[in-house]
Amino acid sequence: MLFTLAFTSLMRHRARTVLAMLGVAVSAAMLLDMVMLASGMRTSFRSLLLVRGFQLRIAPKGTLPFDTEALIDSASEVRSIVQAIPGVTTVSPVLGGQLRVELRDRVVAATALGVDPTVQGDYEVTAGREPKAPDEVAASDELLEAIGARIGDTLWVATGFDPQLRTYVSRRPVIVVARAHFLYAALGQRMIGAPLATLQSMRGSEAKDRTSLFMVRVGNGVDVEAVRARINDAAPKVTATSIASAMKFVDERLSYFRQLAFVLGTLSLFVGFLLVTTLVTVSVNERIGEIAVLRAIGVRRGRIVLQILIEGIAIMLSGAIAGLALGLVTGRYLDTILSDFPGLPAAMRFFLFEPRDAWAALGLLFACGVLAGIYPSWRGASLPIATTLREEAIA
Amino acid sequence: MVMLIFALLLMQQIDSSPARAHPQGPRTIAIDERLAADVGLKLGDRVIVSGTTGGGGDTVIVGAIVRRSADPSEIARGEYRVRMHLDQLQRLIGYGERVDRFAVATRSESSTVLAQRWINDAAFGFRAHRSRDIAVGTSKTFLVVTRFHRAIGVITIVASAIFLLCIMLLKVDERRRDIAALRLMGISARTIVSSIVLEAAFVAVLGSALGIGIGWLSSTIVNWHYRAVYRTPLIFSLVTRDVVTLAVALSLVLGVAAGFLAARRLAKLPPLALFGR
Amino acid sequence: MTEGLLLAARDLRRDYAMGRTGVHALRGVTLDVARGEYVAVVGPSGCGKSTLLNLLGAIDRPTAGTVEILGKRVDGMTDADATRFRLRNIGFVFQRFYLMQALTALENVELPLAEAGVPRAQRRHRAGDLMAYVGLAERRDHRPAQLSGGEQQRVAIARSLANTPSLLLADEPTGELDANTGAEIIALFGQLNRDGTTIVVVTHDEDLAAAAKRVLHMRDGLIVRDERAMRSA
Repeated sequence: MLFTLAFTSLMRHRARTVLAMLGVAVSAAMLLDMVMLASGMRTSFRSLLLVRGFQLRIAPKGTLPFDTEALIDSASEVRSIVQAIPGVTTVSPVLGGQLRVELRDRVVAATALGVDPTVQGDYEVTAGREPKAPDEVAASDELLEAIGARIGDTLWVATGFDPQLRTYVSRRPVIVVARAHFLYAALGQRMIGAPLATLQSMRGSEAKDRTSLFMVRVGNGVDVEAVRARINDAAPKVTATSIASAMKFVDERLSYFRQLAFVLGTLSLFVGFLLVTTLVTVSVNERIGEIAVLRAIGVRRGRIVLQILIEGIAIMLSGAIAGLALGLVTGRYLDTILSDFPGLPAAMRFFLFEPRDAWAALGLLFACGVLAGIYPSWRGASLPIATTLREEAIA
Repeated sequence: MVMLIFALLLMQQIDSSPARAHPQGPRTIAIDERLAADVGLKLGDRVIVSGTTGGGGDTVIVGAIVRRSADPSEIARGEYRVRMHLDQLQRLIGYGERVDRFAVATRSESSTVLAQRWINDAAFGFRAHRSRDIAVGTSKTFLVVTRFHRAIGVITIVASAIFLLCIMLLKVDERRRDIAALRLMGISARTIVSSIVLEAAFVAVLGSALGIGIGWLSSTIVNWHYRAVYRTPLIFSLVTRDVVTLAVALSLVLGVAAGFLAARRLAKLPPLALFGR
Repeated sequence: MTEGLLLAARDLRRDYAMGRTGVHALRGVTLDVARGEYVAVVGPSGCGKSTLLNLLGAIDRPTAGTVEILGKRVDGMTDADATRFRLRNIGFVFQRFYLMQALTALENVELPLAEAGVPRAQRRHRAGDLMAYVGLAERRDHRPAQLSGGEQQRVAIARSLANTPSLLLADEPTGELDANTGAEIIALFGQLNRDGTTIVVVTHDEDLAAAAKRVLHMRDGLIVRDERAMRSA
């Protein structure tokens, strides 16, 4: 009977009900997007860091990986020190740089990563094989497309430029042996992966026995933070960063988005709340006579409140379900905008959908619907019966 | 581009360091205010600067503390900036006679254009870029943020329009009996609609004024907060005349339209229908 | 309370605050109603008829005085207790019918039964019987907007009888009806009373007052005359 009354009351004013649901749907969509935004960045970044199982990054002292152009000196010594620490299973060196691929009529710039192909964690070979020889490289789809090359082609690459002679220095041929997906590359970034020694020699004295960072993998069950502390003690020239501290850094750098997510999410909830509370208030005011009569014939106050609450919750939940679907669409759209951030790994997502986010949004909306309806319905159900009936009769 | 940031080792006891002093006495450097605040440096302090960790370096004196510029590309970057004599830096980091770039000042806009063309045509393999073009390039982050904000703004406007329409519908509906009574008295539907639209416009104007106040306050809080977080003089949020004009125009249009649609819907009904008969 | 007495009101007073002055709607009404009585309360507008009815029906509280129904003091009951009491023992009929527009006629009659926890099948059956009793069996699935004034009032009467109340209170039940329809309602009330329902009705309708067995005349918050008419059944 309660549900019948609630449902038919809503259907009595279809336009109003539909509009209210639409309003709630848009609020719900925004709320879901903000819930996704609040957690998506962290989850996405964390997954990205752990994609190849490296739990630690080592960079020059006081810096974060690739945050500056500083290099780690005596890289081979540092590598040995780190490798010797109990619990460390893999140490992968990475040297960053720029290479120019010379074509007949132009030069195409590419970001180069010098790696140890046997332990590298920067790219996944999608075709071909892992580079072995010093003159073998892996290239990203974007680079191969830009230079019109394929696996097996020989490229002339160079680094450094002598403006006086207008020639590139350290010019050498390399063979493309792999097409690779570079895990941390930005959207459209042209990447080339070469053996570490090759890139070091091409960069000359400035990169001799130097790397940009090391990625470290520890064994299962090993305390990562303890290993991090030991690395920092054993190699004072470097700073080791764990996933946890990297996440802290990301939280600080991207705090703006989390704060925005919180503010907009709260506003969305508030708007939805306002909408439902206004609707319920007007609905109660219109039926104040009916409500008084229900009380007069013996219907308990609590049941009347429940019936009105059901109306509010019904609008909230039906709008919410539509809104969740809409939120997925708008979230995807907003994600494509933010993915354009320069230098951001293409795999990074800002709006990441997880079922718990939908449940969280639904739960919040449900609670909101209850709160929005409770005061006007309680007020309506508590009015003095006789006075209300008399006023209704006069009206 | 070699950053002007490098490993800066600060040693409190300078007489225990294997530092090198300039034959004419320590030279001065300028540090940014963030570095000064974080490590507790002040004017006149002596520090050792080195290009390598643990290696020898030069003893220098903090001669100036520089305020950070309102540069968007510096946001969220944790680096410190130090200015020193070119030859000293080149020597410390083993850069020889190289530099990364030259900054060229010109007398006028036409001089800038000429200079750029001349440099690019010269047989030295250099490329000259206008500062504002570089600024555009380095501001790409903020262009993305702008697009994001715009998208959020559009969604908010759509939500507000629906919300307004719904509220107006409810509020006008509440007065259906009054409207019925007026119609029965002979007041035309046009007069009724006009009065409701006028009411909606008045509420929209009041709401806009309130909104401008809230917007200004929010903008102030945003700037205060993020300047502190990112330690920059950059302005993050700006309430301009154009922004205010757009917001007021939009809210007026939406408010009046919502009032008109809601009023018209009821005014079209026969009076007795409004009484529920 | 005397046996056979359904309702006993003693020195009922009801005052309202209206700005600086107060309004004394009832100034000390004492009244007994026996089981099976059919009482009409008449008087000019503002004499306190409806106020008296509200106090007797426990939907308002007296400023002073007591009301006993079926041996229970209702004037001091909590809201929840009074609601429960009304559900089981008192039926209300209003001038403006006050049917739930969103429900069908049958569902309106079912409302008090649903509140009383009667199972669905049982309450459907009972509601159907009541609809037949008031002569509207074929209109059970119509909504109030599809019924005439008289039909709506009959549905309201059926609703008031749902939980077999001991006392039926009606406030101007023919107030919004034309003469012919009003006559039908008057006849229905007569039938109800003959079938054992105790009725107290407030009315301006002379025909309705004439149909009652006892007429209380009120003026300025007091009962000024109590006529017991000799009517044949």
